[in-house]
Amino acid sequence: MKVSYYPGCSLDGTAREYGESVEMVCRELGVELEELEDWSCCGSSSAHVSNDMLAVSLAARNLEIAASAGMDLVVPCAACYQRLKVAEKELAAGKKVEGVSKKFQGGFKIKHIADFFWENVGEQLISSKAKKNLSTLSPVCYYGCLTARPPRVTDARNPENPQSMDNVLQSLGANVKKWSYKTDCCGGSLILTRPDIAWKLVQKIMDMATEAGADCIAVSCPMCMTNLDSTQKEISRNTGKEYHIPILYVTELMGISFEILSVKKWLRRHTVDPQPLLSRAGLI
Amino acid sequence: MVVGGGICGMQSALDLANSGFKVYLVEETTSIGGRMAQLDKTFPTNDCSMCMISPKLIEVEKHLNIEIISNAQLMALEGEEGNFKARVLKRPRFIDLAKCSACGDCVDVCPVQLPSEFEQGLAKRKAIYKRYPQAIPNALAISKRGTSPCTIACPAHISVQGYVALIAQGKYREALNLIREENPFPAVCGRVCVHPCETSCMRGKVDEPIAICHLKRFAADEVMQAGELSLPERAPNNNRKVAIVGSGPAGLTAAHYLALWGYQPTVFEALSQAGGMMRVGIPAYRLPRDILDAEIKLIEDMGVEIKTSHRVNSLDKLLSSDYEAIFIATGAHKGVKIGAKGEDNPAVIDGVDFLRKVNLGEKVKIGKNIAVIGGGNAAIDCARSALRTGTEKVTIIYRRTRDEMPAAPEEVEAALHEGINIIFLAAPSEIREKKGGRLELECIKMELGEPDASGRRRPVPVPGSEFVMEFDNIISSIGQATDIPTGFKIQLGKGDVIQVNSKTLATSKQGVFAGGDVITGPKYVIEAIAAGKEAAISIDRYLKGEDLEAGRERIFTEAEGNIEGVEKRPRHQIPMTSIAERKGNFSEVALNFTEEQARAEAERCLSCGICSECYQCVAVCQAKAIDHNMRTEELEVEVGSVILAPGFEPFDARLKGEFGYGRMPNVVTSMEFERILSASGPFQGQVLRPSDGRHAVKIAWIQCVGSRDETCGRDYCSSVCCMYATKEAIIAREHSSDIQPTIFYNDMRAFGKGFERYFESAKNHFGVRYARGIVSAVKELQQSNNLLLEYGTEDGQKVQEEFDMVVLSVGLVPSPSTKDLAERLSIDLDRFGFCKTDELKPNITSRPGIYVAGTFEAPMDIPESVMNASSAAALASEGIAAARGTMVTEKEYPPEMDINQQEPRVGVFVCRCGSNIARVVDVPTLTEYASTLPNVVHAEENLYTCSTDTQKRIIDAINEKGINRVVVASCSPRTHEPLFRETIREAGLNKFLFEMANIRDQCSWVHATHPQEATDKAKDLVRMAVARAVTLEPLHMSPAPLTRSGLVIGGGLAGMTAALGLASQGFEAVLVEREKELGGNLRNIYYTLEGSDPRALLASLLEQIEKEPRVKVYKGAAIKDFAGYVGNYKTVIATSEGKTEEIQHGVVILATGATEYKPAEYRYGESKGVLTQHEFEEMLISGKLDAKKLDSVAMIQCVGSREEDHMYCSRICCSQAIKNALKIKDINPDAEIYILYRDIRTYAMKELKYREARDRGVTFIRYDVNRKPAVDEEDGKLKVAVFDTVLNRDILLAPDLLILSSAVRPQPDATEFASKLKLPLTQDGFYMEAHMKLRPLDFVNEGMFLCGLAHAPKFISESITQAKGAVSRAVTILSKPHLMVGGIISVVDPENCVGCLTCVRSCPFGVPKINAEGVAYIEAAACQGCGICASLCPRKAIKVQHYADRQITAKSSVICSV
Repeated sequence: MKVSYYPGCSLDGTAREYGESVEMVCRELGVELEELEDWSCCGSSSAHVSNDMLAVSLAARNLEIAASAGMDLVVPCAACYQRLKVAEKELAAGKKVEGVSKKFQGGFKIKHIADFFWENVGEQLISSKAKKNLSTLSPVCYYGCLTARPPRVTDARNPENPQSMDNVLQSLGANVKKWSYKTDCCGGSLILTRPDIAWKLVQKIMDMATEAGADCIAVSCPMCMTNLDSTQKEISRNTGKEYHIPILYVTELMGISFEILSVKKWLRRHTVDPQPLLSRAGLI
Repeated sequence: MVVGGGICGMQSALDLANSGFKVYLVEETTSIGGRMAQLDKTFPTNDCSMCMISPKLIEVEKHLNIEIISNAQLMALEGEEGNFKARVLKRPRFIDLAKCSACGDCVDVCPVQLPSEFEQGLAKRKAIYKRYPQAIPNALAISKRGTSPCTIACPAHISVQGYVALIAQGKYREALNLIREENPFPAVCGRVCVHPCETSCMRGKVDEPIAICHLKRFAADEVMQAGELSLPERAPNNNRKVAIVGSGPAGLTAAHYLALWGYQPTVFEALSQAGGMMRVGIPAYRLPRDILDAEIKLIEDMGVEIKTSHRVNSLDKLLSSDYEAIFIATGAHKGVKIGAKGEDNPAVIDGVDFLRKVNLGEKVKIGKNIAVIGGGNAAIDCARSALRTGTEKVTIIYRRTRDEMPAAPEEVEAALHEGINIIFLAAPSEIREKKGGRLELECIKMELGEPDASGRRRPVPVPGSEFVMEFDNIISSIGQATDIPTGFKIQLGKGDVIQVNSKTLATSKQGVFAGGDVITGPKYVIEAIAAGKEAAISIDRYLKGEDLEAGRERIFTEAEGNIEGVEKRPRHQIPMTSIAERKGNFSEVALNFTEEQARAEAERCLSCGICSECYQCVAVCQAKAIDHNMRTEELEVEVGSVILAPGFEPFDARLKGEFGYGRMPNVVTSMEFERILSASGPFQGQVLRPSDGRHAVKIAWIQCVGSRDETCGRDYCSSVCCMYATKEAIIAREHSSDIQPTIFYNDMRAFGKGFERYFESAKNHFGVRYARGIVSAVKELQQSNNLLLEYGTEDGQKVQEEFDMVVLSVGLVPSPSTKDLAERLSIDLDRFGFCKTDELKPNITSRPGIYVAGTFEAPMDIPESVMNASSAAALASEGIAAARGTMVTEKEYPPEMDINQQEPRVGVFVCRCGSNIARVVDVPTLTEYASTLPNVVHAEENLYTCSTDTQKRIIDAINEKGINRVVVASCSPRTHEPLFRETIREAGLNKFLFEMANIRDQCSWVHATHPQEATDKAKDLVRMAVARAVTLEPLHMSPAPLTRSGLVIGGGLAGMTAALGLASQGFEAVLVEREKELGGNLRNIYYTLEGSDPRALLASLLEQIEKEPRVKVYKGAAIKDFAGYVGNYKTVIATSEGKTEEIQHGVVILATGATEYKPAEYRYGESKGVLTQHEFEEMLISGKLDAKKLDSVAMIQCVGSREEDHMYCSRICCSQAIKNALKIKDINPDAEIYILYRDIRTYAMKELKYREARDRGVTFIRYDVNRKPAVDEEDGKLKVAVFDTVLNRDILLAPDLLILSSAVRPQPDATEFASKLKLPLTQDGFYMEAHMKLRPLDFVNEGMFLCGLAHAPKFISESITQAKGAVSRAVTILSKPHLMVGGIISVVDPENCVGCLTCVRSCPFGVPKINAEGVAYIEAAACQGCGICASLCPRKAIKVQHYADRQITAKSSVICSV
């Protein structure tokens, strides 16, 4: 299977382990990721809060490249996904976008990577690659907001209770826990301006994951990861309640199951070290 | 024709049938009753819903002029009003309604369980079921979705789902018998079948298919080992001989069934042992010989003769002896050559020969290292058998890949597991013998090319890829062929198979049939078995001289099982012997399931077809009422008009994902909560949580789920949810006082009659907490399954609260099937799917002759549906009034016997009710006992006393034995008393000479575990019934004449509509209006919220009244005197000319209206700028006021409503305010309009206008009743101060106008007038109907009806509906040929009466009077027979007939005197 691939900037920076695990897992699954040629910023972060037109045209530029490639576009970063979907909807609605000369034809689907795994790669292929059963692990899947909401932009089938990560991990044997906080806000956008609010939101997610009986949280968004992974120490200090819940990209967990060799390298980059948990679970 | 059997459809049907029309009631489900039957209690009276609807159900069922067509759909309607042809599709019920007595014995044996629709999925029901215990028609029904894919895939079409279901229930014997109906080799097939059933199993789409094959083996082994197998009963021997050539599966199967059907089959077998390929093809480690022997023995036990070592060479010889027919089933036992050079070497063994020798126990010489060529099951069998006969190394060579291998995957797996090496993509090209006798095998590598005819990719040799291996022996097993003796002289086809007719298996030779491998080439056991049975059928037909082909093809409708949301549960694996144990022997490799595994595995079945067709119900039904072959029928019915009352569906709460319904077990819908509350529901009325069955304490209701919500396309208000949630909260509290209910709501819409008071009592008396605002999402705590709700408080705080349970108040949605219905009938719907009607022409659809009633018109509650139903009935009969009485059925009875001089002679009929009574109560003993009781001259027991044949027995017994009192001991008088009364009347006995003993509902059912005590109690009950029966006396109803005209009091909209309605039904009407003009309040309404023209309506009504000769109008007249009773009223009218006139009439319709409250508050009457809504409307229209000059207008809602002393909502004022606000906006879009409200009650579609008002800038400010707005005037300018409870601050307005939405008040003289007519009023002074829910248009006083504002505040359209409804109700009386008077009523003994007035005061119907002689007089026509007067009369001067003291004490006196 060959698809277009838009990694986005995070996957080269703060979320390198995400980028690497996406690529390795896809290789294992026989998915050929063809990186968009000369891709540029998606318009997230600074653009979309300051200049609406720029935010759309940056994303639209990438969509044009994808259109010429003519394959479905897989996007691992939730923020990129959101921006590209917004642009897609705007273009489809006939909006004139600066810098996008041709009439945008579309003709391909933008897929977030977790949906892509479940809906396009499929259970059979994924589970056939499982070398290690993840049954000793009890994750909850945290989707955050950008892949789910608003459904008219994201086209999420089940915006209140997304399933793709749950399904993927379940097919690898993981004891995925049910919970109601899959799409609650993690406070990512307030982490610099109002950390007090963000911390409260993160704490709620941590508390509820624990309540659900989870020992780790699976994510598929670099912002969620950063926010959930790096604030726990601070929150523990502020509240006096110890938080130490490993946060893992869904692709890292897949990598563990597929016994991809570079897993250890990815795991070392986390703030909350997931290795003790994973070794207790007999997975590394 | 009435479509829809809910409360609305039933009411329409009853009204029509009771006024002289024949009614077809078409119901989509298997029973009538609709949604109301599912409800627990009803608001605002908390009456039990089932108790109210159940008598109606029976009334409909027993009505001679209502024909219920259940399980049916109206497909098409041709023609026009008065002359429609309706096409009705009646789906099969699979139960003969005439025979089924609803005993339920079949339910006990049915193995298939599915979620009960009636219980909203909270409980299970069987595939054979009754929707609910009281369901009408009182009969079972079977749910089928078609045939399950497994049964279709099975070549023998065994009822696979059936036996799997039976195994799940632990009914192994039944399962085995079911299999054996199509297959006499279940133990064999349970081991060796290639199970196409599993390949097509729907479960495979979820996880893995059901292990059907292993389950079959389990059932066979379990039953046969226990020695519990009983052979089916053979038909009497017909001495006709059939020869069967070949004792393989096909031959023996044919022999089995032929023997079963009475033939004498002889099987000829060439080999020394019977079994064919089952014996010589399949090795014993797969099919142990004792198993095969046992099943062959069973066939011999059926009377089949097997002659082994007997080769048949000539068919003609057989035919010329005693054999009348022959079945050739000689199989395919000849090996096929590989086609490689050198294969004739003696060390190259033919696989078929090899297996035959091994399996027959002959010595086979084989080396240590061998190759097997081939990829089928036989090749694997050769390989694995070789391993067991001393070979050490086996290599299989196959020319394609593993995916293309024809062998069963589990066989390949087992071979690999046992250490057999398989070389794929290789084919032998040459075999050479080396020195020392070893063989050198040269192979060539293959690659896969294009697909061939079999659909598999063709192997293509790779040039130059030859390789060589060495072996001791090579077994070739690449195929088998037939070997048909030339002496058969029979036509062969391609591949040397016998040519047959594929349907009948007939060969070219008369009387000779062939099947199995001999016609197909090598195939599987199950296919041979299927062929064997088909051959047996052909031979049977042939010998009976019947057509061979007719109806042979089996056509299946494949059932598509539902796999959505099915949880994954892995398939159970059977245990296997270890590799070590297998070496060197042929003991069975695959072991059996344990019982626990088997049942758990069988429970994985998805029941694709729903009914599994296991036929257990057929076996157990003693009434022979079950017919699995019923087909869909199409009926054509001629009807004059059609009423559509298809009802609603609860909104699918899954569409509002944020509330977690469907994934959080303790989030339930309100409909589910109704069932939870119901005493007959899944939890017997305890408020338990679905997740853990724990008692719920904190319960939250979330309102407006699927209502007032544009995001899910449901922006209308569902009208009923505020009240039902209130009711549910109250009832929950009544069930358990520790329950803490909280209702989260938007606006409390308690707009109906009595609702506000109900809401107040919920708050103040029952402790229901109301929290304004809708929660945004429901979160679940995973440990406790408790639910977290986050909401804002009135003071703006964000709060999180934990609840045990959440109830979603789901809205009313037209069911998807109504959309199709509307399309088929070409009637228009609105954008939500409700039926489109004109505001001022309610009930009238876009197609003349089709009327709509109930929630299909708009969301409404039960009383409104009932009124609507009556209204639709009036409309539906108006156009065909001339046909009244032409199609009604009246029963003719023989003259009644005079029993006056006779001694009581009692006949007792004791019902077994199938086994319902008999399995607990000792019925023979009870019957014997009954025969010994005094006055009993006859006692008998019946299988079903209610069955048609028993009715005849009862009549015969009455005639033969001179019985003059009948006692039936059976189920319940509730359902069956009318039937038995009818029966004895048919025998010429007075119907009151009947008594019933309830020995089922109140005995065998409730004492199921105590048979002895139950029998004793049944004796007591029968003894009591007999004792009372002896005291019974005939009672007679006598016809009384009636005046066929009506008096309508009040000439407003309702009164005029009612008078015209009576006239169009063909009756005279007198319309009395005290004002000088007709029109009432309608005169003051100039426009409506929805935009209709009430002025035109008024003009049209006045004109029609003028022109209608059957309506006589008295204007400016008053009712002076009122007397009489139903059918015969006398009313004196004081006319405008000052004269009096006496009018005789049969019915009264009261439509005296109401008035607008003149406020005493908010400076009304003091400041010029303060008006009521009516006044404003009038000024605007008359031009006294120019809206263009208004800068700002304020309106205050609830003026005079919803307060102490007037604790009711005036219903119309919210809409009035919005109507006037929008009117101002129309004229002057810039005008600022403020509506100061408590709750906006724009129910149903009026909600859309509320939204429009907001969109157009009307400002709504909510005030609290405890902090009402303050109005002041300064310098001629109005000042309105209001505390906005949303903003939490004071707001000061300075409007040009203040418009007060003042209350609707009863007429000031209502009390006085009501007492003149002896009619009751509610606390609020409106007239009180007979029953809030089901008799909203009737007064308790028979013959009197009400409509319009006199009943309660309402809109124009509602008044019209009510008026028409009242007409419909009145016509049920006016259309009777005469009134039947008497029967169970109170009679006064004047000798004993002292005129103390106790009866006069106590009668709720106001019937007793003191007559001229000074004693009480009870008018028979008016008495309701309730017995209150008789029980209270201090002189015992009154008795209720049929319930006289001695008739009651007769029972009690025998209880103790055993």
